[in-house]
Amino acid sequence: MARHGYKYSAGKLIRHGLTRGDWPRMWRRPEARSSYDVVIIGGGLHGLATAYYLAHNHGMTNIAVVDKGYLGGGGSGRNTAIVRSNYLTPEGVAFYDRSLDLYNSMAQDLNLNVMFSRRGHLTLAHTDSALRTMHWRAEVNKLQGIDSSVIDPQEVKKQAPSLDVSADTRYPILGALFHPPGGIVRHDAVVWGYARAADHLGVHMLQETEVLDILCEGGEGPDGKGAGGRVTGVRTSRGDISAPAVVNCTAGWASLISNMAGVPLPITTHPLQAAVTEPCKVFLPTVVVSGSLHVYVSQTDRGELVFGASVDPVGTYRVNGTLEFTEELAGHVLELMPGISKMRLLRQWSGLCDMTPDYSPVMGTTQVDGYFVDVGWGTYGFKAGPVAGETMAETIATGRDADLIAPFTISRFTEGDLVGEKGAAAVGH
Amino acid sequence: MNPNRLPVRPGEVIDRETSLAFTWNGRPHTGHRGDTIASALAADGVDVFARSMKYKRRRGIMTADHWDPNLFVQVGDEPNVRAGSRRLVAGMEVSAQNVWPNLRFDIGAANQLVGRFLSSGFYYKTFMRPKWLWHHLYQKVLRKFAPGGRIHWETSTHGAYDKRYAHPDVLVAGGGPAGMGAAIAAAEAGASVMLVEHEPDLGGHLRWGDADDLAVLADLAAAVESHPGIEVLVDSTVTGRYDHNWIAVMQRSHEIAPERLIKARAGSLVVAPGLIERPYVFAGNDTPGVMLSGAVRRLINLWAVRPGTRAVVLSANPEGDAAIADLEAAGVEIVAALDARAGEDIVEVEGRGRVGNVVLGDGRTVSADLVVIGTGWTAPTSLLNMAGDRPVYDPTAARYFPNQLPDDVLATGGITGNGTTAELVEHGRATGTLAANRALRNRHDRRSSTARARSPEGPIPESLHDTRASLARTPHPECYRSSSHGMVDFSEDVSSKDLVQASREGFDSIELMKRYTTVTMGPSQGKLETVNAAAVLAETRSMDMVDIGTTVWRPPFAPISLGALAGRIFEPIRRSALQDWHEDHGASPLLAGQWVRPDHYGDPVAEARNVRENVGIIDVTPLGKLDLRGPDVTKLLELVYVNRWQKLDVGRVRYGTMVAEDGVVSDDGVTGRLGEDHYLMTTTSSGAGAIWEMLEDYLQTYRPDWNVHVTAVTGGLTSINVAGPRCRELLLRLVEGVDLSPDAFPYFHVRRGTVAGVPDCIIWRIGFTGELSYEVHVPSGHALHVWESLLANGEDLGIMPFGVESQRILRLEKGHYIVGQDTDGLTKAPSAGLGGLVKLDKPDTLGLPELRAAYARTDLPILVAIQTDDPEVVPMEADQIVDGDSNRILGRITSSRMSPTLGRSVCLGQVDPSLAAAGSKVTILLIDGRRILGTVQEHHAHVDPEGVRQNA
Amino acid sequence: MIVVNCPHCGPRNSSDLRPCGEVTTRPDPATASLSEWRTYLYLRENPAGWVTETWYCRSGCRRYFTIERNTATNETRSSEAS
Repeated sequence: MARHGYKYSAGKLIRHGLTRGDWPRMWRRPEARSSYDVVIIGGGLHGLATAYYLAHNHGMTNIAVVDKGYLGGGGSGRNTAIVRSNYLTPEGVAFYDRSLDLYNSMAQDLNLNVMFSRRGHLTLAHTDSALRTMHWRAEVNKLQGIDSSVIDPQEVKKQAPSLDVSADTRYPILGALFHPPGGIVRHDAVVWGYARAADHLGVHMLQETEVLDILCEGGEGPDGKGAGGRVTGVRTSRGDISAPAVVNCTAGWASLISNMAGVPLPITTHPLQAAVTEPCKVFLPTVVVSGSLHVYVSQTDRGELVFGASVDPVGTYRVNGTLEFTEELAGHVLELMPGISKMRLLRQWSGLCDMTPDYSPVMGTTQVDGYFVDVGWGTYGFKAGPVAGETMAETIATGRDADLIAPFTISRFTEGDLVGEKGAAAVGH
Repeated sequence: MNPNRLPVRPGEVIDRETSLAFTWNGRPHTGHRGDTIASALAADGVDVFARSMKYKRRRGIMTADHWDPNLFVQVGDEPNVRAGSRRLVAGMEVSAQNVWPNLRFDIGAANQLVGRFLSSGFYYKTFMRPKWLWHHLYQKVLRKFAPGGRIHWETSTHGAYDKRYAHPDVLVAGGGPAGMGAAIAAAEAGASVMLVEHEPDLGGHLRWGDADDLAVLADLAAAVESHPGIEVLVDSTVTGRYDHNWIAVMQRSHEIAPERLIKARAGSLVVAPGLIERPYVFAGNDTPGVMLSGAVRRLINLWAVRPGTRAVVLSANPEGDAAIADLEAAGVEIVAALDARAGEDIVEVEGRGRVGNVVLGDGRTVSADLVVIGTGWTAPTSLLNMAGDRPVYDPTAARYFPNQLPDDVLATGGITGNGTTAELVEHGRATGTLAANRALRNRHDRRSSTARARSPEGPIPESLHDTRASLARTPHPECYRSSSHGMVDFSEDVSSKDLVQASREGFDSIELMKRYTTVTMGPSQGKLETVNAAAVLAETRSMDMVDIGTTVWRPPFAPISLGALAGRIFEPIRRSALQDWHEDHGASPLLAGQWVRPDHYGDPVAEARNVRENVGIIDVTPLGKLDLRGPDVTKLLELVYVNRWQKLDVGRVRYGTMVAEDGVVSDDGVTGRLGEDHYLMTTTSSGAGAIWEMLEDYLQTYRPDWNVHVTAVTGGLTSINVAGPRCRELLLRLVEGVDLSPDAFPYFHVRRGTVAGVPDCIIWRIGFTGELSYEVHVPSGHALHVWESLLANGEDLGIMPFGVESQRILRLEKGHYIVGQDTDGLTKAPSAGLGGLVKLDKPDTLGLPELRAAYARTDLPILVAIQTDDPEVVPMEADQIVDGDSNRILGRITSSRMSPTLGRSVCLGQVDPSLAAAGSKVTILLIDGRRILGTVQEHHAHVDPEGVRQNA
Repeated sequence: MIVVNCPHCGPRNSSDLRPCGEVTTRPDPATASLSEWRTYLYLRENPAGWVTETWYCRSGCRRYFTIERNTATNETRSSEAS
């Protein structure tokens, strides 16, 4: 990547330390042009990755990424940074495995240490039916070459000694799906890595620029929007920009943006909350997930426990969080690790998730020519960021849906089949 | 014996009669009741309390309160205790955190030498090659530097915490002069008031004030405490304000729980937290001995601790000036009193374990052991932000002020402006009156709109206008940073230089800067550092503070222990009326959804065999049971089941499958017609609740014209299945009023009769096990009697109880599928092998268009019975069916067991339609990697496909 | 924890109820095309503003009713009880 850019290395770190010289900017604040080949709405992980792969893999560099706020301020900066590929369906496994590959080489590809901690991922089973689902996932995973297996409570204890694996609890741990390649990544660094690399390749990132409308012509709806039409550009808070291709890479506002092109989406927006504790000396080496208890937890290198849960039951665009989330979370975490009852919750926050009926995204071309979607990511957006960017870039560059995203196109809601991840997805981190 | 303890101070909170012994890093110390850990150690001459996170710099007292970032200690098994606010208890074992091997000598302090290489985000720029070294070494080293205390795994307080609900009209957050004024006025206006104070005593900053302050405090506190309408909670913190004024209060000193979470639905919230003093950025500003003015005033006046001997004071406000007077009264020599309003400044502090030399703005260097900073305030607007406010920076007063608040949140006191004590109290009183008015109007509305509440007393109070005179915004110099660089975030070791660098690298909005440098992300959460961080960014970008904004304050305002949040867990397990009996007779428990059930009584295979050979009984109470009455039940059944229900005569039972509106199989069970307009529906155990709510949904919102009444009777009726060739013989001995002969009471019929003397039992003939069987639904109060009578009367027939595992074996032999195990979230009706059961010509049934579409397809997987060619091999449930030697998935085993009846393994599985024909060979991939062959069977039933046994 | 005003039981914590989402209109299954049916199943307005939605008073009267709620602010106001 980024041959024109400034290369980071241990040597540079020492040189800057000695000279106390400034580091160069990671990206510019460019003036907007009046037209681009592609306008990407949403300066988060998905939008930036799409821009980077368009530039890097397809040589398209006349691209703008527009965001109403700052880079990575939405779901990219609010998720719990877990990555894995042990999905239930073959199409899910193939897709997320490619994403994991990209994460694995990202530090070298983007020349920024995204601090991928491949620490292993445990999905606990508390019932025999959950255990059966874990076996199902493990078998599907193995057939596709994914390191994934079901382990017993003693082995669970070895992987995560802080867990209570005794049998007399309300939700006894009967086993777990163990996925060694899963782990956590520094989520913000991923955003910055793509932003920096895309900037070096000539992509414009227009922060604090809100999209007010998508301009269309020829469609069956009002103002030429809707099926049969084509995209001509976007109207932003800083003026109109013309573009033959507009990509919706937003989360939380995907329905509102898509309505601007006359393309309704099968989405309801729900908050997903997370929380972090004060730091304690590191004791939890793996990522631990419990679907029955609606909780996932990992410990950062800084010693904080990072928690997440399932989406809030009430759909809303509000992100101020709820008390009951922290109460339920604490209760469930302590069922798993009673020893941490005196650790303190430091901060809670929430982000918006666009939930689809089958917990799978909506990607690719739409009924409006030149309008592409990469939305409906529910709670999986972070894991999929790199591969979503790569496949969306291919789709935009070639005009046809990339093979890996064929199961995820919008047409499945009118004619095809839904994707079968829902069963395994209730809390799928 | 405490070298730094002063003679008695007028407002001191320590009890000098007591002597509390405790240890600090293993050495003995003493303090008094009323001391905090920090004040006791300071009185004993301790300067250094901790090492900093990144550079392991020595740290001492800075704010001497709950927010002090330098005073995190371990107390026994409790990590991250704030020594600045935690009161001393005899016997405490207190130790420093973040030190290795010890506080005096810390190996990590070497980081200070290489600090110039460890600039913000340095880790993003290195450790990338080789990749394996990152995974195996660098990361482990980074983790060694994690700050914080240690978990003691042998102890847990989980479950020891209490919770409480409260419904005050007015909740006042902050018990200073304004907060107390608000509470009194609100109570006088007739509101019920909860007054919450973070510190152990009411009074706010009056507590460490002069004699006049103490006198006003005493009067106000007496008025508050004597008013019956005010509940006072001290040592308690309002940690969050959520939608619709749902307020979280953490009460710490409570007699029956270590901490208690109070959840209050407040009519009005009055936010009166006062102000938090702000540190000043200069070189060496984190050296032990650099304290804020409030810290020295608290140390001197509350705990009678002399904070040093020779002080340099930098003051920009009257509180800073007051510190000079307090220091002099405490016998501290004032080396230099610098007036920031006149441009005087401090540039650098030198000294390692304690302040040594101070470089002043005029170039002089003086010797001192104490530097006191009084350069401004941060408005803790956290609760206001949670209420949707975006506070605005006022450059004149050099702090943020509330902007737009919702009607049910009001602010008063220092957060809104400056004033004399009398002015603060008056503003508080006016705010309290207004808050009460709004709350009482709200209470009136709520009562009026609640059908079953007692109606409101009198007419709705007239709405008051907000006529409060604003408190003044006294001009204050904008003191953020000296000409040198120093620490901005003390918890995270982030300096102003780091922030400048981050901004220049492109992280030039406050949120990006936060994420890159971690400023405000540590335990202080911005309370001390957020304004200084914004100031540095404004300076770097040459922008106004007003345009920079701040990071968002998020709940909780103060950290809350997980134990207190969790409280006690109320997730009871459902037990049938027979569960005690099962446990007394050796049943192995199985947690299934909400229920605990007997998995088996020792030998599930023997139990299953006994059902095939003699007779067994099983407790199937968790089966969902819905009593349906009314003239339109048939229409409801037609709607929710895929099959026909019009011609079900009284006394008959039918099996039905339900699909959701998307055509996916959602539940199944049998429904019997007990009378002309009376039916009993059964559902799966796990689906019971959802099906009940689904029936109500369609009855209430889709067909409100239908007359059907649904009653859930799952727990009211205990269900006992009596199965096996000798079961009729057994029941003949116990049943009265029902002709049990096969002709009079055939398969899939229902009767009501007396069982073991218990009248009005429902008995129906169904056959999940594939045997002749009767399911008896008994009023639960008599269940144990019936169960024991069956066992007693069946002894000579070879009766045995059987559990869930035996039932699973038996039903699989018979080929009955289980919804959710043999089907999944995509299984549409044709895939479940329902065949002719589904009637597509009905005018209305759930998911009908999806069913039509599904039946037109030929590519959906099909549920089939499979037998392995090697009868000894039992595949695991979830083993995949693959295409020969390839890894292409063509299906999976959904159920499998060794059949005791057939002496071979039996399975159900979902397969690709190309493999669904009887006799098709399938390749099953076992978990050990072997691939074995199996054969698709003609019927789902492996045993007795003709149904001879169940129809007997 | 927002308050939801049940027309029968009065204001209640939302945890006493179950949110059932936007009010939808069920097409006649006998005549609906698959595409009309899937619009009913899957497509939602999902506005950032006022929406009419169904709630189920799970721990109270067990009635389904509708309210209007602003999804940008969580304010609620009454709607005709169903």
